[in-house]
Amino acid sequence: MNDRRNARPFRARAGGAVVCLVAVSLLAAACGGNRSTAKPADNGGGTTTPGGTTSSTIIDTSACPNGANDTTGVSGDTITIGTSLPLSGVYAAFVAIKNGEQAYFDYVNANGGVEVAGKKYKIKLKAMDDQYIASQTSTNVQNMLSANNVFALFNVVGTKNNLGIRDLINAQCVPDLFAASGATQWGNHSFPWLVGSELVPYPLEVKTFVEYLKKTKPNATIAVLKANDDFGQSYADTLNDLIKGTQLKVVKTQEYDNTGAEVKTQVQSLAATHADAFVVAAALLACPNALTAASDANWHPITYMSGTCVSKLLFDLAGKAADGVFTVTPLLDPADPGNADDPAMKLYTQQITKQFPSKTATTDPHEGIIAYGWTTAALLVKTLENAKALNRASVMESARALTDLSGVGLQLHDSKWNTNANDWFIGETYQFIKWDATAGHSVPVGPLTDEDGKTAEVTPGNLINLK
Amino acid sequence: MALFFTQLLTGIQNGAVYASLAIALVLIFRTTGILNFAQGEMALFSTYLLWKFTDSGLTVWLAIIITMAISFVGGALIERVVIRPVEQSSALVIVIVTIGLFLAINSLAQVIYGSGQRAVPTFYPHHIWRPGGVIISSDTLVLVGVLAIECLLLFLLLQRTKLGLAFRGVSGNAESSRLLGVPVGRILMVGWGLSAAVGALAGAMAIPTTAGLVPSSMQQILVFAFAAAAIGGFDSVVGAVVGGIIVGVADALTIGYVNALHGIDLVVPFGLILLVLLFRPAGLFGSTHVERV
Amino acid sequence: MSRSQQRLLGLAVSVAVVAVLIVWFGWIFPTNYKSADTRLVAQAFYIGVAAMGLNILTGYNGQVSIGHGAFFGVGAYTTALLMDHEYTFLGITYGHVSFLGTLLPCAIVTFVIGALVGFPALRVKGLYLALVTLGLAVIFPDLATRFVKGTGGTSLVALTPTELAAPSWFADHFPSLSAQDQWAYTMCFALAIVGLVGVWVIARSRFGRSLIAVRDHEAAASSVGIDLARTKVLAFALSAMYAGIAGSLSVLVLFNASADKVETFQNSIEFLVALVIGGTATVIGPIIGGFAVVYIDKWTKDAFPSKPVLSPAIFGIALIVLMYVLPDGVVGGSRRLFAWSRRTLQTRRARPAAPATPATPASTR
Repeated sequence: MNDRRNARPFRARAGGAVVCLVAVSLLAAACGGNRSTAKPADNGGGTTTPGGTTSSTIIDTSACPNGANDTTGVSGDTITIGTSLPLSGVYAAFVAIKNGEQAYFDYVNANGGVEVAGKKYKIKLKAMDDQYIASQTSTNVQNMLSANNVFALFNVVGTKNNLGIRDLINAQCVPDLFAASGATQWGNHSFPWLVGSELVPYPLEVKTFVEYLKKTKPNATIAVLKANDDFGQSYADTLNDLIKGTQLKVVKTQEYDNTGAEVKTQVQSLAATHADAFVVAAALLACPNALTAASDANWHPITYMSGTCVSKLLFDLAGKAADGVFTVTPLLDPADPGNADDPAMKLYTQQITKQFPSKTATTDPHEGIIAYGWTTAALLVKTLENAKALNRASVMESARALTDLSGVGLQLHDSKWNTNANDWFIGETYQFIKWDATAGHSVPVGPLTDEDGKTAEVTPGNLINLK
Repeated sequence: MALFFTQLLTGIQNGAVYASLAIALVLIFRTTGILNFAQGEMALFSTYLLWKFTDSGLTVWLAIIITMAISFVGGALIERVVIRPVEQSSALVIVIVTIGLFLAINSLAQVIYGSGQRAVPTFYPHHIWRPGGVIISSDTLVLVGVLAIECLLLFLLLQRTKLGLAFRGVSGNAESSRLLGVPVGRILMVGWGLSAAVGALAGAMAIPTTAGLVPSSMQQILVFAFAAAAIGGFDSVVGAVVGGIIVGVADALTIGYVNALHGIDLVVPFGLILLVLLFRPAGLFGSTHVERV
Repeated sequence: MSRSQQRLLGLAVSVAVVAVLIVWFGWIFPTNYKSADTRLVAQAFYIGVAAMGLNILTGYNGQVSIGHGAFFGVGAYTTALLMDHEYTFLGITYGHVSFLGTLLPCAIVTFVIGALVGFPALRVKGLYLALVTLGLAVIFPDLATRFVKGTGGTSLVALTPTELAAPSWFADHFPSLSAQDQWAYTMCFALAIVGLVGVWVIARSRFGRSLIAVRDHEAAASSVGIDLARTKVLAFALSAMYAGIAGSLSVLVLFNASADKVETFQNSIEFLVALVIGGTATVIGPIIGGFAVVYIDKWTKDAFPSKPVLSPAIFGIALIVLMYVLPDGVVGGSRRLFAWSRRTLQTRRARPAAPATPATPASTR
């Protein structure tokens, strides 16, 4: 009796399934292409052209899938550069970096382009959004590399985000130029295709402040607020290491959730220690929140904020609470009217204003974060100009052999940027600065700090070479 | 000891914020039985409106009232346009729709107002008192005061007006209310509108006490508000307030005193949910339903 | 055509379609399409696997979870750490395992964790359970950041191309599937098939029927002798195991395992979306949902490449519209379409020879 009643639902179900499956396969087929046409990125090896003729000391191309003369991403007179950074989500404010980069490239392109080995090229920036999520960065980079349309990666934001792709880019011999992070892991010599940007390496930041304390208050007690991520952790580790053997003492450390910016309770409990010094290893809104909370608690320690907080807007949000806060910067402060007549600053302000006529938080030329993007773009152009030939290996080689680079973007006067076979860090000359809340800009404290080549020895333990 | 009271007060202040967003969640849950994932982002959008008004020179308290009025209309419209068509669908479908709203509103806020930080002013002067080392901020007093007034007004509205009676009728049994001539559709719109206005107030109170408004500002608050509503019981306004304060205080004291949980203090609110629910499966103040076989 | 002949024909068509699909997805697609495409489809498969797991719990058993991103993360970490590191436990050294070698430990770990979470879930229902699981998604990344020491000392575990490459036995047997992306794809495809068969078996088993009975009416189910606790905890454990295996697969596609709070939450939501778009309590629905999530995401991102902040808005609106059009998912929608077309076809055929075939009853679902 149940033969028909049973049969129908089954058939209806199977029929539905068939309709779905066919639809799915059509869908997959609709957006396909031919695999055989473009697939060098997937070769695990095999088609190597050995015997590259570059007189290489650092960059070894013998294991590279495309050999020594790899010009992927260059077509005609255009070099395509790829980047991945948060353009939406919690860290979306970092879009300011891209705005700075784009403005510089547009400026260079409008003036004929960058000259590499006697020929002029235009630079095209392909920016992808990763929301600051490492696996998203990795997907973006895989897509860019497998489509074979980027020459190099540039200013990818975040420590984890770069660590997540470094094995890949190293194996495929794609330069990951100027990772936007001050982590010391960029000094690991097993990964020659990755170089950090001009951001001051975190240990040098910490060292500078420790030196300052040793001079001004040698027996100071220190309270630390750090983000509950790897950045915060490496900061705190370095600090604990550097104060060994001094009379300085960390009395309390607190963490905050880096997906939010709520730090009030943490700072209150730090304030209760009445520590003499306060180290803030934070980013974006947590920085001004921490300063306000300290001031509300009537706690006025000698405060140091990580370079990740250097932004006029963030300081302004903290108002008077930000007065006298120390930090470091490798760049000229665009908010300082004293720099307004500087020719490099004039060019920068003019170009940013031209690109972004409306002033918002992510397009205001006074923003240090935009200035950083602009300068890093200038650093890339310099590196390309210095390359002996336009191929991936030569450009990487050039990034590894920067000599006494000065006047790059908004680089500090008298600052020289160097890299060589042993020293892989760029931002080792920088200025110790103090925020002046009434004037609304930073003021230099003491002379330029030159720690060229010293990052490795300052870094504790094996943090650089951790696998 | 001064530190303990300071942190207790901070906990209460945060708790007041969680409570007001939790009330917004409860208002929607009571009428439509929906867990509204977009609650935080609706409040975010309202707070951006508030910023826009104050930025163009409007007095803050007036801007807050206008923002709440606009939010009321916006919330009612969302119910009518977005939620109504799926009202009869399964709970999961509605959850997905509110997640869609969450994504859409957040991203629209970014498109319209940008990703950068915006400073939203308070409508009262910022002042700190320090009796005996305890830090008392005007923020705390105002936030708790506003929450108390909000609760009182909601109580009067729900218990002493005809609209409130209809509202309670619909949350009790929509079908019987319909038969008795209550315009259920309109009441549902009012529920969403009310919730959006309450959420707007939560944003308008919470954000000015921090350094600024960013597109992710409400997400952490929403997570805590969820915890608050779950602890209090999803259909009780009183429960939302008590839950909010519990969550806020527990979190603050964990940060202050439990070193082992530094950086993972979220364990506490969610541990609390579990603990409360193990003993009272419908939250502290929630009503339980008896099922017949 | 007699009824049995019709059924035979139907069966033959189904078998043929399945065979075509297996050949297409198992061989033609990965050998002909670019790595960007294979990765995307691989992603669809592993999201589908996770959604299958959620289906066991939410679809068949009615327990809503918005925390499966946490189980997914545990799976990803288990695989990545076992492949990349070496551990000595009770004198036994284990580590630097091949991908396949990590699957069993991963399944065990996530199964056990799932069961542990399932026990308190016995008391908690509906919305409240959803929020407890949300707690999992929120806490897991913090725990991982604190306790995992991965690449460069961070909580990210990145794998090297050698570790990720296809093993030699596979490359020897299937030389034209030996590229890394093809290996990753093949694993995702194969395990998706295994998962699909698993759900199919479960749905037709006694256990599957008790899952549904518990979902539809707990008290009634218990009164006919179904062990509520056992059923619910097992549902949780199996579901977590599926999500964990999906996490393992993701390592091959993404090259690393990491726990970001936003990401874990997004994953949890994606699995739920895939499940609902595909069709809850259907065998094939979750995998279709996986495809839908991945492709809608891709299209919304491609729509305005210069305005990435806009893509979540389009994605969100697409979700809402889909829920209007297909409240019972793609599978439910297709069933309705199929039943409708049959009905119209049959009434048209039935009209001339009036009494031969009585009109079919309305669509059965």
